Amino acid sequence: MKLLSAQNITHSINDAKLFHNLSFDINSAEALHIRGGNGSGKSTLLRIILGITTPSKGLVELIKPDLKISYLGHKNAVKSYLTPLENLELLFHDAELKHAFKWLDQFGLTNVQDELTANLSFGQQKKLALIRVMAQSSELIVLDEPFVGLDQATADQLKNFLAKKLSEGVGLILTSHIDPMIECIELDLGV
Amino acid sequence: MISAFIHKFSSPKSYVRLTEKLYPFFIVLGVSLLTLGWIWGLLFAPQDAVQGNSYRIIFLHVPSVIFAELIYFFMAICALMHLVWRVKLAAYLIKAAAPIGAMITFLGLFSGSIWGIPTWGTWWQWDARITSTLILFIMYLGVITLHGSFSNLIKADRLMSILVIIGVINIPIIKKSVDWWSTLHQPASISISGGSSIDPSMLYPLLISIIGLGFTLISLGILSSRSYIFTREKNKKWIAEHV
Amino acid sequence: MVRLIKSEIFKLLKKLKSWLGPLLIMILVLIAFPLSIDISQFDLDKFYFSIIVVSILMTSFVATEGMFEEDFEDGSLEQEFLLEKDFYKLALAKIFVFVFLIGIPLALIGAIFSFANGVAFNSFAKVFLILSLSNLLLFNVFAFGNALSINKGAMLGVLSSLPLALPVIILLGSSIRTIQYGDGFISIIALMIGIGLLMSALMPLIISAALKTHID
Repeated sequence: MKLLSAQNITHSINDAKLFHNLSFDINSAEALHIRGGNGSGKSTLLRIILGITTPSKGLVELIKPDLKISYLGHKNAVKSYLTPLENLELLFHDAELKHAFKWLDQFGLTNVQDELTANLSFGQQKKLALIRVMAQSSELIVLDEPFVGLDQATADQLKNFLAKKLSEGVGLILTSHIDPMIECIELDLGV
Repeated sequence: MISAFIHKFSSPKSYVRLTEKLYPFFIVLGVSLLTLGWIWGLLFAPQDAVQGNSYRIIFLHVPSVIFAELIYFFMAICALMHLVWRVKLAAYLIKAAAPIGAMITFLGLFSGSIWGIPTWGTWWQWDARITSTLILFIMYLGVITLHGSFSNLIKADRLMSILVIIGVINIPIIKKSVDWWSTLHQPASISISGGSSIDPSMLYPLLISIIGLGFTLISLGILSSRSYIFTREKNKKWIAEHV
Repeated sequence: MVRLIKSEIFKLLKKLKSWLGPLLIMILVLIAFPLSIDISQFDLDKFYFSIIVVSILMTSFVATEGMFEEDFEDGSLEQEFLLEKDFYKLALAKIFVFVFLIGIPLALIGAIFSFANGVAFNSFAKVFLILSLSNLLLFNVFAFGNALSINKGAMLGVLSSLPLALPVIILLGSSIRTIQYGDGFISIIALMIGIGLLMSALMPLIISAALKTHID
């Protein structure tokens, strides 16, 4: 099943063209890996796909307007003045909250769950941000450099999670400098 | 259809070509009428029965205040065009008009202060009309500052347009403040709907001053907007061909 | 909408300085002013309301500073956009929570202090109502200023929102006079309620457009 369709996406920022006439579809159980050098527009393309940024030209159509999307960008979207536990309680309820607590335990954050998020390391904050993606039920997962700041064990957990979600029919779009080790369609934005 | 019409006639290229032809006409007419109005008003119009010669600042003050409001109203129309029809020329015109509006509002406040000393015995009074005009001046500063704070100029254009649209609420408040609140400020000397309260011998030079200042400000606006268009569109081919 | 209101209440209560700070500033100003000036109680009674009005203006601005900045900086705005596709509900929820948790207590403090300076007990409800409605208007205006200037500093927020706030202050001054002279209170309250409802409905729409522009 097609999840979204991008048609002739062209985008410039202050007259500097990032990319031109990109077209692609994302289907269920498919992964798109967007590659490119620094400043090639990978994060911008993700934001265009999500509808956060309006492209200079072109169109992105979602199969349905209320498509459930989980997104992790450069910013973690966690509150630094709350504890990890409070952050999760803010985001989730009922079954999803229980699921989130399981991931909190799996990522080894249980011993810091009552500390202020501001006092956690970069990697720990990244893990907390990832729990949002992992605990949420979604039809499309969009990740911007998800492996940055993660230790090898967590990176492996993430790869396994993504592979599992793909097999369940969830679509995936990610940008990453390292090989995600899952079967992907490659989109290269160049240097 | 409306959108197509607007986009046909509102490209920066068409605007630059059109204003190139109109500018000499406007500047000559503006300066001539302004000079005529001021000389007539300052030297030949009779003294006021109550205020004597001190009333003559009216030939600077009233046109300034009229255009302080009109320029903002013009900016609001441009803001609407930019937000609804995505006309980028409209954003350029707001950016060009804002400093001119700020300047003329300041001139209105300054000339009003000078007039206040012989008339009310004070250079400043916190009455509704003067305070509203001061608020208008701050609004102009806000628009200029807001646009200048963003490196992404497309974002800056949109936010500036939003601020201008919201600030336009202030214009009827200024216009009607003299009527709604009891105030030290005198009521409007000229009314579009009714007659005016001043003698024709003073009214005619005043009207000429207003029209003259209008054309002069349009000329300034044309200069300012053309300069800004060249900055924003500098990478476009038509600029290289034009220059 | 309920989700948003609950989460905003939760977050605001956790940030003690954002919630308690403005209330303490208000109390400080209202206590400090009479201590700092050597005039008779009779003269103080005449213009103490002005102090309350100016304090409300200042503390409303301080209270709403950074209203949307935190969500912009940490990426929560983008997450919210993915859920709702606009920020209308978020803006409405934030303003509602801020008015409820900060605006109403500020109005209560102002009304209580007005006793200290000549307002009769039976006017307490009127003063409280006027100050509450003024806070509703001011919080809407300053939320708009904050949304425009998000991470560009307080000065830009002031320049953007003060011209809209000052007419509210003029209206507040007129409404105070109706209590002092006992005339026209109902009509001015009706006007403030009307403007308050209109602003509460429209301002989140405008704030939403401004926030969308920021994350674009």
